[in-house]
Amino acid sequence: SNCPTLPQAEEQSHSLLLNRGLIRVARPWPPRDSTGKIIEPQFTIEVVRDPTTCNLDKTYGIHSKTPMVSVYRRPRPATNTKYLTAAGFNFDPKNGFPLPRDSETGELINGNITADARVPTLFAQTRDAMRSHLQTQGIADEAAVKDIVKFMEGLYTAQQVDQAAGALNDGANGGPATLRDMREGDLQGGPTPIWMEYYPWLNIKGGGIDNNAQAERRRSIARGAEIFSKRMFLIDDSMGINNMGFGSPVRNGCAFCHNMQHTGMDVAPGQVDLGTTNSPHADPAPDLPLFKLTCKPDMPPHPFLGRVIYTQDPGYALTTGKCADIGKITIQQMRGLAARAPYFSNGSAKTLRDLVDFYDRRYHMNLSPQEKQDLINLMGVL
Amino acid sequence: MRLFKLLIVSIVLSANAWAETVTFVTCPIYRDTDSGRKSGCWLADDPATQIRYDVSAAPMKPLLGKKILVEGVVSDDSNACGGTPLRPVRTSILDQACEAVMIPAEGFAGRRFAVPSDAQRPTWEARQLPPPPYITTEFHIFFNHDSDFLVYQHAEIVMEKALLYAKASHAREVQVIGYAVTKPVTASGERFKESIVLARSRAEAVRLSLNRLGIEPAQLKVSWKASGQPVESPMIPTATASLRRVTIRVIPAASQR
Repeated sequence: SNCPTLPQAEEQSHSLLLNRGLIRVARPWPPRDSTGKIIEPQFTIEVVRDPTTCNLDKTYGIHSKTPMVSVYRRPRPATNTKYLTAAGFNFDPKNGFPLPRDSETGELINGNITADARVPTLFAQTRDAMRSHLQTQGIADEAAVKDIVKFMEGLYTAQQVDQAAGALNDGANGGPATLRDMREGDLQGGPTPIWMEYYPWLNIKGGGIDNNAQAERRRSIARGAEIFSKRMFLIDDSMGINNMGFGSPVRNGCAFCHNMQHTGMDVAPGQVDLGTTNSPHADPAPDLPLFKLTCKPDMPPHPFLGRVIYTQDPGYALTTGKCADIGKITIQQMRGLAARAPYFSNGSAKTLRDLVDFYDRRYHMNLSPQEKQDLINLMGVL
Repeated sequence: MRLFKLLIVSIVLSANAWAETVTFVTCPIYRDTDSGRKSGCWLADDPATQIRYDVSAAPMKPLLGKKILVEGVVSDDSNACGGTPLRPVRTSILDQACEAVMIPAEGFAGRRFAVPSDAQRPTWEARQLPPPPYITTEFHIFFNHDSDFLVYQHAEIVMEKALLYAKASHAREVQVIGYAVTKPVTASGERFKESIVLARSRAEAVRLSLNRLGIEPAQLKVSWKASGQPVESPMIPTATASLRRVTIRVIPAASQR
């Protein structure tokens, strides 16, 4: 529900789930590291708007005995997990350090699990979910944890058939088998652009009225794939991209950030601030909390947003305590999009059209109506 | 081979010593050229001479609306951006706001981006260890002014080379020495100096990184200095810029020195 203290039997208490598909995620405040030690934050946090009542609640709020910040996010698909944990390179260019290794598994931590990278592995994520969402008590049943992870690791998900385009592996390589069979963590680019699964459809011809419509949809999907990797525009003021040496602005395309083959995730730890949660770029959301974060005087300000930032979700900053990380959200996989509107971590894009419009507006892409439709058609079959 | 490389670097640096170097503070200008991804141009006008320089080759690109400290060597690269090209060049972003100026291409093409030939390879590609003989060898990581950020497509490449050399040579010690420009330097009438604290934080950043890459803590010896000697590098434009660095000194096992 919006908050455990609300009357649970009332529909209004679950409004964010029902209207936006959002789940409450409660983060400790101040943040803590993996050992539970407090991380001294670089900013202070005030609750400006609290429509769910949880952030100012006596038991669950920021001033309670166990202070928490409640944010509301879309759940992420628990599938195609080998891509979620893939470490294609051992260096994180966003933070300027090699990837750490998990002490439990010995594997490189790629930082791509959960919207705020708060857990390093699927095992840790499972324990976190059991405790917070399932509300299990005590220490997690490790046998159950292993079973859950093994189950997730066996799932591969992608759209198999589209009403207009037909079977997505008919002359192209859509569908979940590609995800199962291909290597995880590959960087797209050059002769292997992302979504090249659909390139065989670029010049497909059709015969007959029905086949012409199907052929045109297939060509549109393939054009969408080309636009995704080749259409250039200026990306600016986006932490996690512009601040790591590329400059602001930088000319690039969708695949600059959505660069992992077969999923559209980021091969690097993918925490980026597009502006989906931070003012001034975020869409107004009066039903979501609003926080005022103020960078402390002796701390570096946010390079693009300054010292005072209004946000619906501090994102990665709730994990690191850093001003530079306010509003950063982990880039998620793009598979199964047609089945899981609304989009972005806060559900602010109700449809794929809204999602494309956000990017078009945010980065002044000047997409034509056909380009927008081609991108929508591509994303609608992933 | 190593002596040959040093000779080449010396020749290049000697040439640079005669070449014109510039150091100034200015507000960057972005020219919106389009030769594909990452092809935009960064320009910087020297306030003293009003000469427009092309600083697009800087490893850390500017942020529009923030002043930069430019340190560069005038090169004979083609004029693809509408400014005198500087290469090598560093642009350090300063905490000073200025007007954000973007100009159109105006017929300039910019430069097509090319991935560095020594860019890091994916994790699943096997690494080749360098062959013997192994001698005490230094690797340098360079930083921008007042920064301890390990720059992408530079720091990880250098650290991997150091790591592989340490592994191949069974290094008995890996020294990590941090430096900073603690004596003031002047550019465009402004004084710049760095704190000794920065020398330490640079060294610690590299220490943490090398440890994560697999060098055991017991092998690592970390220190930092308020001053140091300049080093030669084809990617560094001035002696001062070379002082913003960490030197990784790999000392092979005794039997291999």
